[in-house]
Amino acid sequence: MDTVHDLGGKDGFGVVDVHDSGKPFEHDWEGRMWALSRSSRLPSLTIDWWRHVVERIPPAAHMSIPYFEKWCLTELACYVDAGEFTLEEAVSGHTEQQADAGKPATVADVIASNRASAKTFEVVADVEAAFNVGHRVETRSHSVATHTRLPAYARGRVGKVLAQRGAHPLADDSAQGVETPQHLYTVEFSARELWGDDASPHDTVALDLWESYLVST
Amino acid sequence: MTSYDSDKAAKIQAHLHSHLPSEPALRVKALESLLVERGLVASETLDAWVEAYSEEIGPRRGAQVVARAWVDAEFKARLLDNAAQAIVEFGFEGNATGDLKAVENTADAHNIVVCTLCSCYPFSLLGMSPPWYKSAAYRARVVREPRKVLAEFGVDLGDDIAVRVWDSTAEIRYLVVPQRPAGTEGWDEAALAAIVTRNSMIGTDRELVAGAE
Repeated sequence: MDTVHDLGGKDGFGVVDVHDSGKPFEHDWEGRMWALSRSSRLPSLTIDWWRHVVERIPPAAHMSIPYFEKWCLTELACYVDAGEFTLEEAVSGHTEQQADAGKPATVADVIASNRASAKTFEVVADVEAAFNVGHRVETRSHSVATHTRLPAYARGRVGKVLAQRGAHPLADDSAQGVETPQHLYTVEFSARELWGDDASPHDTVALDLWESYLVST
Repeated sequence: MTSYDSDKAAKIQAHLHSHLPSEPALRVKALESLLVERGLVASETLDAWVEAYSEEIGPRRGAQVVARAWVDAEFKARLLDNAAQAIVEFGFEGNATGDLKAVENTADAHNIVVCTLCSCYPFSLLGMSPPWYKSAAYRARVVREPRKVLAEFGVDLGDDIAVRVWDSTAEIRYLVVPQRPAGTEGWDEAALAAIVTRNSMIGTDRELVAGAE
């Protein structure tokens, strides 16, 4: 689904504001939002569904509100969607159904919990990879109705397989709650293949793409 | 249970955006109070996460990994072969590093990382991402005109240096290993780590300065 989140190659944003205070959080509410996203999440949720719900923020809002505000809306939306809270509860910030969270975690606890959260997304596929390193591949050219991770700027383009990354759950299906192991590849495109002769002949852009995004050329 | 119904999610998002207070701080407050009232998280646990990502988990971690790669050829080989595993030697693994790859700058190639579709980032290794990394301008432009974007960061690359852009479109996350600057011969890992900038590990900085220690 091609919503406004797919920004690669778009014009008109002007120069990058490279200013950086060096602070981890520019505002306190950003730190709270990050902490909320780390400490509580629906078990029935996939990361790809979560990303898709971000993409379903109304387009004008998606382009104008801060990054962590999108996270906040999306967390609330996921809870409401799953029936954990009503829309009224989400808007008011209060619920009748109350419970005690128990003993809070310490900094040492959360550092350990962060460490324990490391996990590879690699899964076992029951088929061999279709493409080898060096294989020339062309990306699918059409848009799809679902969440996908093939950006518009890299569609219908020819590149070469730089690396096989094993099988990962196909994001398009995972965003619909279905785990489909599929081989993933890092595919390198020349900048000129993507952007034409204005681009440097030396430069490349590499993307991580699932097998169903690719056809052999 | 999660519905996985895209149009339902869009309706909920539209309702929330038009009915919640417009201030982001108040929106986050609503989420926090809901989760705390329901007992899904304790407020003090949130304080702990903020402190962990303010004091402990940040770009100094990545800098230590780069410094070791500079002094220890065997570690560097392990890092380039399997970065997700190599950072376990430091205990730095965690959020978004389970499929980490390291890419090395050389005299004739410069690496730069972006996520054009959202803002994927190896949080457990580099901490919170800088504001520009999440900006529309950076995400839109770096795949198309990386040299102009680099110039805005003060990095002017000659035509003889190839730019390799990595767009994090799946769960693989990237760490750029910058080049060790001249004038650092004999330095220990701690001194070397001190000159590794966060931006150099994303790719918006290139020439590290020995005198910066």
